[in-house]
Amino acid sequence: MKPFRRKGDQVVARIVDAEASIVGLLLDQLEQLLTADPDDAGGDPVVERLLPPGHASDPELAAEYRELTVSALREGKADDLALVRATVPPQGGEIRLDDEQARAWLRTTNDLRLALGTRLGITAETEPPEIDVAGDEGSQLTVYYWLTAVQGSLVDALAAGRDARR
Amino acid sequence: MERPWWSAYSDQVAGPLAPERTPDTTTGEQSEIDRPWVTLVWDDPVNLMTYVTFVLQELFGYDEPTATTLMLQVHNEGKAIVSSGPRERMEHDTNRLHAYGLWATFQRDS
Repeated sequence: MKPFRRKGDQVVARIVDAEASIVGLLLDQLEQLLTADPDDAGGDPVVERLLPPGHASDPELAAEYRELTVSALREGKADDLALVRATVPPQGGEIRLDDEQARAWLRTTNDLRLALGTRLGITAETEPPEIDVAGDEGSQLTVYYWLTAVQGSLVDALAAGRDARR
Repeated sequence: MERPWWSAYSDQVAGPLAPERTPDTTTGEQSEIDRPWVTLVWDDPVNLMTYVTFVLQELFGYDEPTATTLMLQVHNEGKAIVSSGPRERMEHDTNRLHAYGLWATFQRDS
């Protein structure tokens, strides 16, 4: 991976084929979470984190808010996901995005990190969780940190564009 | 102006005069009587600090020092008020923050 950097009006990165396949798998998994029947997904902490309650203590207000907003929230996330999928070169290669596309990437990579981080039980960004790095969770943690780096480079590249316009 | 879809709630807002809270760029045109609700962002172990700062600038138009101060308040104190105004506006702000994956809620100002 060559992280995202600003190039004029665009942000540009380069990924290798193995990374492109992992991103593809992650997107498939995220899509399943987002399209899951709410009755089946009820209580899944990952779904709960991706589509969180709007009120912290009043279940009635939270339910009302959910009813009003959840389908649009799902659709927005699905649109972002589709855009990311369409802009990942399947065999690896260059990713070239305008700022709108980069924001979709930002939101989707964040959703992927939220999903993985919730599954892995990450509790503080400064302390790695107690995970056997050699096991399955270890490789998920590697992916999590990879996504963290991708997202960090996207934030920097987008912020650089905004600062340049000021 | 056409009423937005979430404005159905605005008629239910009938709170007392609330003091003005924290930097507020989204609700500048609102009168004081319309201000009893707030949007909170909560600390979260996953979201990057630079990302939270970026999103607060992006959605609310805060300058970088203001957004950074709010982000640090979230990080250090567990939560921060990022906007205040009428309820439907706070629901909308909460929704925009959820689209970016921030852990946000709205509530009546206390």
